[in-house]
Amino acid sequence: MSTEVMQAIRIDETFYKVKEIRRLTDETFSLKLPGGRFKFKAGQHISLGIQGDYQSREYSIYSGENDENLEVLVKEVKEGYFSPKLSHLKKGDLVEVNGPFGKFKIEEKHIPDNKFVFIASGTGIAPFRSMVRTYPELDYQLIHGVRYGHEAYDKEEYDPERHILCTTGDKEGQVHGRLTKYLKRTSFEKNTHFYLCGNSNMIFDALEILKNKGFDRDHIHCEVYF
Amino acid sequence: MKYHLITLGCQMNLSDSERVSAVLEQMGYERTEKEEDATLLGMLACSVRQKPIDKVYNKIAQWNKWKNKRNVITFISGCVLPADKEKFLKLFDLIFPMSELSQLPDMIRNYGVVNAASLQTPKPVMPKNEHIVDLWHIKPKYESTYEAFVPIQNGCDKFCAFCAVPYTRGREVSRPSEEIIKEIQHLVQQGYKSITLLGQNVNSYGLDKNGEEITFAELLKQIGQYGKLSGEEFWVYFTSPHPQDMTRDVIEVIAEYKCLAKQIHLPMQSGDEKVLIKMNRRHSMEKYRRIVSDIRELIPEATLFTDIIVGFTAEGEEEFQNTVAAMNEFKFNMAYIAMYSPRPGAASYRWQDEVSQDVKKDRYHRLSETMRTHTSEYNRQLVGKTFRLLVNGSDRKTGFSTGLTEGKLNVRLDRKAPELKGQIVDVKITSAADFSLSGELVLQEEKIES
Ligand SMILES: Cc1cc2nc3c(=O)[nH]c(=O)nc-3n(C[C@H](O)[C@H](O)[C@H](O)COP(=O)(O)OP(=O)(O)OC[C@H]3O[C@@H](n4cnc5c(N)ncnc54)[C@H](O)[C@@H]3O)c2cc1C
Ligand code: SF4
Repeated sequence: MSTEVMQAIRIDETFYKVKEIRRLTDETFSLKLPGGRFKFKAGQHISLGIQGDYQSREYSIYSGENDENLEVLVKEVKEGYFSPKLSHLKKGDLVEVNGPFGKFKIEEKHIPDNKFVFIASGTGIAPFRSMVRTYPELDYQLIHGVRYGHEAYDKEEYDPERHILCTTGDKEGQVHGRLTKYLKRTSFEKNTHFYLCGNSNMIFDALEILKNKGFDRDHIHCEVYF
Repeated sequence: MKYHLITLGCQMNLSDSERVSAVLEQMGYERTEKEEDATLLGMLACSVRQKPIDKVYNKIAQWNKWKNKRNVITFISGCVLPADKEKFLKLFDLIFPMSELSQLPDMIRNYGVVNAASLQTPKPVMPKNEHIVDLWHIKPKYESTYEAFVPIQNGCDKFCAFCAVPYTRGREVSRPSEEIIKEIQHLVQQGYKSITLLGQNVNSYGLDKNGEEITFAELLKQIGQYGKLSGEEFWVYFTSPHPQDMTRDVIEVIAEYKCLAKQIHLPMQSGDEKVLIKMNRRHSMEKYRRIVSDIRELIPEATLFTDIIVGFTAEGEEEFQNTVAAMNEFKFNMAYIAMYSPRPGAASYRWQDEVSQDVKKDRYHRLSETMRTHTSEYNRQLVGKTFRLLVNGSDRKTGFSTGLTEGKLNVRLDRKAPELKGQIVDVKITSAADFSLSGELVLQEEKIES
């Protein structure tokens, strides 16, 4: 087979037509692509490119392993290079997907006997939605830190008993303040696995609190976005 | 018909270049070190750092000028980021991923019909590595007669924030173990003394095959068993392992078999928990500590090498001090210390490079100094001891022969002995410096007498 033919086949495999852009807030949206082209584990990320542009960025998969669509949750960073371009995509535009990548995932054998605490800042909630949709039996608690209440992306999908919203900019969350405030005052069971995702400052602070509470570092998993 | 090949970057590229040479020489090309004599000019690039990329641009500008006077074909392969690939398409006649090396003869033969433009894709895609096995089937033309590099895996799934390799080399793909063992047997039979298993993450070897390939520990075991059966003296190294996938059974196997070199290169990158998280290294210091403690327990004589980056984003003085503390704790025999510089294509390239160049330099010097105190202390206690030494060159100043111990410590011999190059001999250490040793050759007769 000639190089040209082989390369053409690869292009078909990696390019996806945008199915829908679902606006969640002024800045944040979910990008829906056709699912089922590859297998992934909830928590993993993909690398996303735009046709004609040579840059790419990583995005956690927002959809569940068995969902019809492959979805990512994107916050448009105003001064950013790539996310504003994603935000301007329309139905039918081509994006390039590579992946799945990453080890930020749940060991399925841990599910029956362990509790899971998911700690997210902003769009760092993305891998946790994928996990919750994939494993309905999961005994989890989701602690989501945002500025305003309307940034509790797809809140209605989570069991209200398991979803703790922490807001710093308004009083819509159960907790008014940073999520670390909630972490400090809460006790967790010994058999808990912690998953932290989002900006690194939140992750460092949360890690410190959990270590001080005596949790084993091997049970604390982190995914840094920036 | 002559070719000239420039190889930039790491050992992986060096190993690939041996395969490129083999393909070209099978076509009837003869290698020349004088680029002016060559009609085929090639480069194995490294997009991972800025300097080698600058070199590519300088070289190709020069080669393209020659095209006015001479009929030359230029090609490029190796570790190339999509953004660089786009630019190279306009500058080089041929560009291909290493996994398609077997098609290079066709590309060269058809050159004039197939040109850079017809090979061009709408957007350069990430290497998929499905065809990497074709590369491994190509028998390399080894550059040395006693030291060889054997690729066992290509690509990387780890995505450390500072590194672009997962984007340039694609996903982890393990080479079939039978092929690796065969290549090693062949090398040993040819008298090779130092064999290094190469991969971006050697110890996740086999994991991509979902149970259909043996593990890294098992691979080492099979090599160890062959070493025992062969009765030959040779040392097998590997680079680089990732602490995340390092298991005790790997260390147990190294301890058990003589031919598995008692030298372990275990990249640490930082001694600070937070910096490790930001680097996306996915292991804690606790895990690193456990591995080192297993090494010290099971192979007390092993030397320990590492890689460290100073001045990474999020490294303040406190975090740097944790790296110094780790250096004091683990007492590395060698640490390859690098000052952080954002690499195009890596996730951290988009983050602010917060630490100033002056601070990076200062930390580099302070950490090097800490390392020096430990290597110097370690080396001093070796004086009077006898080691096996692979003679591999000569000292530039004195012309005296030099070599490496099994633990990869540099030793300068007390004489010029070019005839020993490539042989393993006994050496008695007579004096120690910070980063090297001097020793006298123990001749066979002296050994019998003593
Ligand atoms: C493994 C991984 C998974 C990721 N998953 C997601 C995801 O699911 N959703 C998502 O929106 N982003 C995610 N990101 C971040 C994403 O890759 C881009 O960095 C982000 O979209 C900004 O790109 P940009 O080109 O617009 O900004 P750039 O020009 O690259 O500027 C980068 C700067 O933007 C800011 N920034 C980056 N990401 C965010 C964010 N999510 N929220 C607020 N500020 C940010 C930071 O200050 C950063 O230094 C992930 C990053 C990694 C490493
Ligand atoms: S393990 Fe990390 S540093 Fe090594 S090649 Fe992979 S991404 Fe790069």
